Amino acid sequence: MLRAGLIASVLAAGLGLAAPALAQNTVYIPAILELSGPGAVSGTNFRDGMLLAIEEINAKGGILGKKIDTPILDTQSDAGISRAQIQKVIDNKPYVIIGPVYSGSVLVDMALAAQNEIPEIVGGEAAAITQKGNKYVFRTSFGQQFSMPKIANYIRDGVKAKTVSLLWVNNDFGKGGRDTFKKEMEKRNIKIVADISSESGQTDFSADVVKIKAANADAIFVYLNEEESARFLREAKKQGIKAPLIGETTLLGQKVIDLAQGAAEGVKGHVGLTVDAPVPAVKAFAERFKKKFNYVCDHNGIKGYTAVYFIKYVTEKMGKFDSKLFAQTLHGLTITPKEEPGVLMEATFDQNGDIDRESFLGQVVNGKQKIVEVLPKLGNSK
Amino acid sequence: MSRLGAVVVIAAAIFAVVLPFFLKPFGLYLISMWAVLTVAAIGLNLTLGYAGQVSLAQGAFVGIGAYTVGLLLPIGVPFPIAFVAAGLLCFVVGWILGYPALRVQHHYLAFVTLAFNTLVFLVLRNEEWLTGGTYGINGTPRPTLLGWSTNKPLDFYFLCLGAMVVLAAATWWMLRSPWGRAFVALRENPIRALSLGLDTRRYTLMAFAIGSSLGGLSGALYAPLVQFIEPNSFALGMSFNLLLMVIVGGGGYFFGPFLGALVAVLLPEWMRVTQDYYLMVYAALIMVMMAFCPSGLLGLVDRVGRRLRSGEQGPAAAAFEPQSTPP
Repeated sequence: MLRAGLIASVLAAGLGLAAPALAQNTVYIPAILELSGPGAVSGTNFRDGMLLAIEEINAKGGILGKKIDTPILDTQSDAGISRAQIQKVIDNKPYVIIGPVYSGSVLVDMALAAQNEIPEIVGGEAAAITQKGNKYVFRTSFGQQFSMPKIANYIRDGVKAKTVSLLWVNNDFGKGGRDTFKKEMEKRNIKIVADISSESGQTDFSADVVKIKAANADAIFVYLNEEESARFLREAKKQGIKAPLIGETTLLGQKVIDLAQGAAEGVKGHVGLTVDAPVPAVKAFAERFKKKFNYVCDHNGIKGYTAVYFIKYVTEKMGKFDSKLFAQTLHGLTITPKEEPGVLMEATFDQNGDIDRESFLGQVVNGKQKIVEVLPKLGNSK
Repeated sequence: MSRLGAVVVIAAAIFAVVLPFFLKPFGLYLISMWAVLTVAAIGLNLTLGYAGQVSLAQGAFVGIGAYTVGLLLPIGVPFPIAFVAAGLLCFVVGWILGYPALRVQHHYLAFVTLAFNTLVFLVLRNEEWLTGGTYGINGTPRPTLLGWSTNKPLDFYFLCLGAMVVLAAATWWMLRSPWGRAFVALRENPIRALSLGLDTRRYTLMAFAIGSSLGGLSGALYAPLVQFIEPNSFALGMSFNLLLMVIVGGGGYFFGPFLGALVAVLLPEWMRVTQDYYLMVYAALIMVMMAFCPSGLLGLVDRVGRRLRSGEQGPAAAAFEPQSTPP
C-alpha cells in the first residue's frame, strides 16, 4: 500500500496535478481570464492592464516588500473550465484572485472563493454578482444596476426620447443589461417599441436593422459585445438609420470605432471607464499602455490595471497579508488617487462589493471618443 | 481479453482508487470530470463505435440530463430518482431521435443530429421560465446517499467513479449479449443483418436510445460536479469534444472512451505549461495522433499487438519494446 501510494504521488506530481511549491518572497495573486473564445478581446485587455500594473509595482519593490506572482489561467470563456481553474489556484492558497471578466464565470467562481474566504476582484458587470450577499466579491467597474439608470436618465433628459428600440446580445451580460434597462425605462414611462435579441458572434445584422427601422423609435439602445457592435453599426449605416444610436461603454470603445470603419460616427452614450476621460492620470496610463502593448487600451484594460492597485493599497493600509481582513477592509472604503495614484480615479466600494466612480457622457467624433460631460459619483448625487 | 489486458485493467482500477488520496481538490475535480465524461463517451461509443450511427448530439443529452437533475433537486426530489429520471428522459428522446437514422446515414445523419443539438441549446436558452435562460442554474447541491454526504471533492469523486464502473459493467454485459452482436452487425453490414432476420429498425433505435441515456446519466453527475450549468456548456463544442474522446481512444473498442476522455480532460491541462500556445499545441497533438493512428490509441495498441503475435517485427512494434514480452 505504501509503495502504491508512493508511486501514485510521484505520478500525480508528474501528471501536473500536484501543486508547485511557492517562493517565500512573493505574494501569490493568480488571475483567471478569458484569453480564448468569444471573451478574448475583453480578457486580453484586462490582462495587459494588469500586467502593466504588476510590472510597475514589482519594479518599485512589490507590496510590503513582496513581489507579485501572478500566473494567468485561461478559461476559454467557458464557465466549467473557469470553475476548474479557480479550484486549481485555491489549492495553492492565494492571497487575492483577479478575474474573470465574463459574468457567468464570475457567478460560478465567486461561490468557491467565498467558501475559502478569498477575495476576488472581478471584471463582470451583471447585476446578479453583487446581489447574492457574497462578502468576498468586488467589482472593477459599474454593475448594470448602476450604469443603466445613468443611461436611462440620459435618454429621457438628453435625447428626450419617448420611445426606444432595444438591441441586445443574448448571453448573461446582454440579458442582464436588457432586463435592468427595461425596468429603468418603465420607471421613466419610456416605451420600448422593439426588443430584439441577437446571438453572440452574430455576423449578419441586416434583419435586425430592418426590424429597428420598422419600429421607428426616437432612440436606439445597443447593448452588444465589441465585434458585434461594430458589425451592427456598419449595417445600420448601410440601411441609413437616422435615429440616435445610444450605447453603454462598449459601443463607444476605441476597438468598436476602429472595427466599424467610420460607421460609429455620431454614436452617443454613457461611458463607465475610458482612456479618453478628461483625467490626466488616465491619459498618462493610456500612453504607457500604448507604448508597451502597441494598441489602444479599452475599459477592460483600466479595470485590470486598477484591480492590482486596489490590492496594493488595501494591503499596505492593513500592513499585512490577510485575505479575510482584506475583504472586510475593502467594504465601504474610498480610495483616492492622492493616496494611491495607481487607482487613477477616486473609487468607493460599498457593502456589496459594488464600485462607485465618476463616469462620462460621450460621443464619437472624427473616429475618436469625445467626452462631453462628467457625471458625478452616485454616492454624491443621492 | 488477454491476460496482459486484464493486468492493465486491474492496475488501472487500483490506480483510480489509490490516486485520489494524494490529490488536492483541483486534481480531484479533473478526475471526477474524467469519470463523468467517460460515461457520456461510453454512450457515444455504443451508438457510433459499435452500431455505426454518427451522432453529433451527445452533448445535448448531457445537457438534458444535467438540467433534469438541476431542476429536480431544488424541488426536493432525491438524487437517485432524479438520476434515473435523467436517464429515462434521454432514453425516450434518444429513441425519437433515432427515427431519422432509419432514413439517413453517415454525414446526412451527422447533420440531423447536429441540428438537434442546436435545437436543444435554443430550448435551454429561450425557455427561461423553466431553465433560467442564459443565467443557467447555479448551486446544484451534491447529494447525500444513505447518510453519506458527497459534498467533499473526494467523496464526490468516488460517487462518480462508482457510477462509471456500474454503467460500464452494464454496457460490457450488454455488448456480450446478442444485442451487442446485433449492434456490430448493424455497423458492418445492415443488409446482411436484415436478411439474417435481425430487426434492424428496432436495434437502430435501441442503439440511439441506450447511448443517449448514458449521455443523460453523465449529465446527471455533471450538474452537481460543476454546480453551475448554462446552455453554452452543452452547445456543439461539448458534442465535438465527446466525439473526439471516442475517436482518439478508439471507436468500437470497449476501453477506448476511458482513454479518450483521459486525453481530452488532462492533455489541455498539461499543455498549459506552453502558456498562450496551449490550445494550439493541444490541437496540433490531436492532429498528429489522428494522422499516425486513425483507429485511435487502442487501435494502435491492437495493431502493434497483432503484429507482435504474428512475428513480424515492424518499426512501429520496435518502438513498443517494453511491452513486447509475449503474453
